[in-house]
Amino acid sequence: MKSIVLSGVVAALLVFTGCSKDPAVDQKADAAQDVAQEQAAQEVAPVATETVSTEDSVVNSDSNSMSMSDVESQLPTIYFGFDKFSIDPEMQEKIDMAVALGNKEAASYSVKLEGNCDEWGSDEYNFALGLKRANSVKKAMVAQGVDASRIAMVSYGESNPVCTDKTQECWAKNRRVDFKLLP
Amino acid sequence: MKYILLIMLSWSITFASDATIEVIKKAETLPSLAIEDASINYDDTFKLRFFKMLVADMNVLSLFNVDRHHRIAHFNDVDVLVENKDAEYVLRYMMSQDDDESLRVSVKLINANEVIFSKNYKVSKKDSYYMFISHAIAYDINDYMGEPSVAWMKRKVIFSRVVAPRKSEIVIADYTLTYQQAVIQGGFNLFPKWANKAQNAFYYSSLSGKVPTLKYVDLKTGTVQSVMSSDGMMICSDVSDDGNLLLLTMAKNGQPDIYTYDKKRNRLKRETTYSGIDVNAQFRDRDSFVFISNRLGYPNVFAKKLGSDEVEQLVYYGRSNSACSAHGEYVVYKARETSNAFSKNTFNLHLISTKTDFIRRLTATGVNEFPRFSKDGDAIIFIKNYKNQSSIGIIRLNHNKNYLFPLKFGRVQSMDW
Repeated sequence: MKSIVLSGVVAALLVFTGCSKDPAVDQKADAAQDVAQEQAAQEVAPVATETVSTEDSVVNSDSNSMSMSDVESQLPTIYFGFDKFSIDPEMQEKIDMAVALGNKEAASYSVKLEGNCDEWGSDEYNFALGLKRANSVKKAMVAQGVDASRIAMVSYGESNPVCTDKTQECWAKNRRVDFKLLP
Repeated sequence: MKYILLIMLSWSITFASDATIEVIKKAETLPSLAIEDASINYDDTFKLRFFKMLVADMNVLSLFNVDRHHRIAHFNDVDVLVENKDAEYVLRYMMSQDDDESLRVSVKLINANEVIFSKNYKVSKKDSYYMFISHAIAYDINDYMGEPSVAWMKRKVIFSRVVAPRKSEIVIADYTLTYQQAVIQGGFNLFPKWANKAQNAFYYSSLSGKVPTLKYVDLKTGTVQSVMSSDGMMICSDVSDDGNLLLLTMAKNGQPDIYTYDKKRNRLKRETTYSGIDVNAQFRDRDSFVFISNRLGYPNVFAKKLGSDEVEQLVYYGRSNSACSAHGEYVVYKARETSNAFSKNTFNLHLISTKTDFIRRLTATGVNEFPRFSKDGDAIIFIKNYKNQSSIGIIRLNHNKNYLFPLKFGRVQSMDW
């Protein structure tokens, strides 16, 4: 009778938790989420309040310029038709708005265009569709004078939904390009 | 059931030389197999868990009508149990615990009161690795029965599981997803691909940074290397059998195209130049590949020889075929069977032969995608999303049977085996 030892089959498997440089940031996010979940099970302590007199309040007069997150929150989302990466006239107006912001308030930042798709497929083609959407927006921005070297692109395919309901409206919300600013 | 084996399509079939032709054979003609448990250690829960795994594996072999009754026997009894006396084959096994607490399993296959096959197996950690013994038993019995190899049963599956928007983990599992180990956690990492036949290294796409980056993980040393980056997309779609040539999808300047990367010579070559979408390259053999392109205005399957400019359309049916895999003359592809933005869509897998006009539909419901042939072409593994449940499916082409192994949480984004 033969004898086989199988332990070696899987013994070599190692766990790399957050082994790349970038995931470290997200690990913190994970940890924060864990803590939040734990706290949810406990009774929440009363909110500590403190009265501050108006005399103590100082407005920082140097902060006229908007922070990166402030500018980013004003950037629009560009939506697309089913299986399409062409830009509708209505969306062109939103891109015009993004270009205006990009040339003024966000002039010192780079822009990352994130292409997204609805849930119908996780294959490479769907990712390419998301990228083509991002590229359509990039071309429209470059046509209006934005320096192409300031624009990076990525496609998240169907893996970054803002809505997970199984409805037509929800799928339409996910066929989009988001603007993110990079320092 | 903790280890569910959903048998989607249970009609049995055989075929001559063309896998696209279905020749129906009655299920009753398969010989019956009863499984007898003669274990001397371990509690009932673990005994039942192992028994279920073995029943699942023997079912996937598609060689027997497997009796699912868990019956206890004595390993050295000459006669089979009374209840099993009509079974053509009886598989009797005995689990025991070694001094070092490893799991030892002795197996004998009985036919007409004769022991026709026997073997011993052992793993170190029973709870973690018992399923690999079950798969090995099934592999050996299939081999003993003289059937084409099911070596894919012993291979590991690597898949990315999306757990939240832009959060995923890369998991190594056995083919039934019973064993699972997350090897990359944190961040947004997709499209894992084994780097070699030995399955001791893999590639994946990291989307956590500014630019998508292809990473290489060596499981023996635990090291991670950045291979290359590309704006927009950076995916390792396939790796040659010798591990030296990679088919990549990259999107320099926002243009998704297929590239080859020769690791030894450190040489990157652009293989497609169409201004639309070219993605999902899969080796057909060492000198050619199939891929998805929208060069006709919709996604479809094409083939190209390495180093040649000529592109050949492979599939002439359907208006949206957005994923594929090839093995020799056979091509499996994903086809959208409904086409609108307003209702649920159905995607099914189809099999064609480049030498005939037959098409065989391999799935029936839900969203079926990411088909991948096994190395020997005996089986196709794929992702099925149906009613909010994500599963990995196995199609036994020669037996026309589909098996589904559901994921407990998250959604399978992509996988390789």
